[in-house]
Amino acid sequence: MRRIFLVLALACLSGAAQARTDVNILARTCNNCHGVGGVSAGASMPSIGGLQRDYLRRVMKQWKYDERSAITMSRIVKGFSDDEIDALADYFAKQPWTPVVQKTSPEAMDKGLATVSKICTDCHGKAGSDPDVDAPNLNGQWARYMELELEKYRSGEFKMPHRKMKKAIHEATPADAAAAARYFGAQSK
Amino acid sequence: MSSIDRRNFLKTLTAAAGASVLSVPKAWSASAVKARVVVIGGGFGGATAARYLRMLDPGIEVTLIERGTRYTSCPLSNEVLSGSRDIKSLQAGYQGLARRGVQVVHNEVTQVDPVGKKVSTAEGNSFSYDALVMAPGVDFDYGAFKGLTAEISETRLPHAWKAGPQTLLLKQQLEAMPDGGRFIIVVPKGPFRCPPGPYERAAQVAMYCQHHGKKKSKILILDSNDSFSKRPLFEEAWKALYGYGQGGMIEWVAAANGGKVEQVDPGAMVCLNGFDEFKGNVINVIPPHRAGKIARDAGLANFKDAWCAVKPENMESTAHKDVYVIGDACVGGDLAGNNAFPKSAHMANSQAKIVAASLVAKINGQPAPTPIYTNTCYSVVAHDWGFSVVHLFRVENGQWVYIKEGSGISPVTFGTKEAPRPVPRIYRKMEVDYADGWLRNILSDGFS
Repeated sequence: MRRIFLVLALACLSGAAQARTDVNILARTCNNCHGVGGVSAGASMPSIGGLQRDYLRRVMKQWKYDERSAITMSRIVKGFSDDEIDALADYFAKQPWTPVVQKTSPEAMDKGLATVSKICTDCHGKAGSDPDVDAPNLNGQWARYMELELEKYRSGEFKMPHRKMKKAIHEATPADAAAAARYFGAQSK
Repeated sequence: MSSIDRRNFLKTLTAAAGASVLSVPKAWSASAVKARVVVIGGGFGGATAARYLRMLDPGIEVTLIERGTRYTSCPLSNEVLSGSRDIKSLQAGYQGLARRGVQVVHNEVTQVDPVGKKVSTAEGNSFSYDALVMAPGVDFDYGAFKGLTAEISETRLPHAWKAGPQTLLLKQQLEAMPDGGRFIIVVPKGPFRCPPGPYERAAQVAMYCQHHGKKKSKILILDSNDSFSKRPLFEEAWKALYGYGQGGMIEWVAAANGGKVEQVDPGAMVCLNGFDEFKGNVINVIPPHRAGKIARDAGLANFKDAWCAVKPENMESTAHKDVYVIGDACVGGDLAGNNAFPKSAHMANSQAKIVAASLVAKINGQPAPTPIYTNTCYSVVAHDWGFSVVHLFRVENGQWVYIKEGSGISPVTFGTKEAPRPVPRIYRKMEVDYADGWLRNILSDGFS
């Protein structure tokens, strides 16, 4: 109990001290890795512009409070106040979702669709463009990023709090999961 | 336009061999110019500053003066040595900036007059400015090692600390090295560009040797410092992958143990520390750094006669008004050791955005924004092993504050202090992927 109180007190303190930073200035610090407007140019980095506000807010806070593991993000967000995280989530949620449509083979698309129809549609929609409240858009998201994220769920070495995803990943083979990632990566708006 | 009118300026440049003005959009030339900003240097810092200035306010006239027509990223250039990466994947041109209405001039700046607010180039053109952004990078102090000259670096003992021809020369030398050969890396006294770079290079060279029939080879790091960036992560990786210490493939000699090289002899291919001689098949001598010459000539290097001190709120030089210094040439006050502004691409990019935002606010009569500076730096030590460091700086009461909570290196161990366990390899593997994604994004953030 005492520890929880301390964490909250610190969060409030840093929030008060840091809330002055303009969200535009803050958001620009994300562009180096996630692209201008949150449209990524690098296959391992996700596009974040246009993702749902609640999803963005939740994952950033999960990283900040060590409820979810990430490689670099869990370090960086610890330096941001909760207010700043909320402001960033609002900012990126207001950007248009811009799919980066990646080419793949018809065979890979068929294979991906089979897995997607079986496991992913429920929360992400058939093309990844009709997401649930706690599921991100996947249409035109970078396939390589999705593969890495799926590896995180599969490996068991990462703290991944989404129970439904943890269950889902074990219903597909690694090859099927990769095909599903490529399928979503090839979807447009 | 500056001291010469635009038409004459375009004519002069079109006529001049080797110089080119990339397309200037009509809308830009017709619009009223709010202010003129000249940017010197088209690396990560300068290119990003020029791009964001135009992005945030197209009413500002931005001229970028840069010698080269193509930029090669220093970050991840060590991967070229091992063959993991082609040098082309590190390169960007300036067409993207030209499309945004940045006037790109490929020429050498010969003089900066911070009082008359004017910049002159080798071709005799001059550019007046309301604000000047200097991003000249670093110069190398060849005189610091007896026996070393710029010419020897270009031909015999490449530093390859500015990615490009020397990177390829060093790669050729590595390829020609016999099995059982010795590759020496001479590390200068800090601060230098890319603090983890020499150690990353040792790993990339070791990886090359391991996979190209040179397993008996040694990599000797002769260091003018007693410790280095991300040290526990490097030592763990070296030990696990290549063998570290005496008898291993990689050996590191701290300054205190004789690692401080004083002299090199390119004829005999030896490094001398005053007592011992170290013979190498390949000798990679990285000379000490200081701010680029043009910044020093302009009287901006007011920190230890080597670096340009700047103001925390907006990167303005403490020596001259309306001159802003960003990237490797600047120094963030007296922040010591690991808490100092790292000389990295990401930091230069972050500083560039602060300058752009602050200038746009000033030009438009708006209040100065509160800055926030971030850094991310990945080191790739094998095709499936990488790690990183992140930094966060804020400005409070006119001072830089290093934010410890938002900073730090990749985990060294998992588990508890009493019962540590190794970090799962998947963590290390993923950082290699992220390093590449980061490179693609930061190049695009500065040059597209």
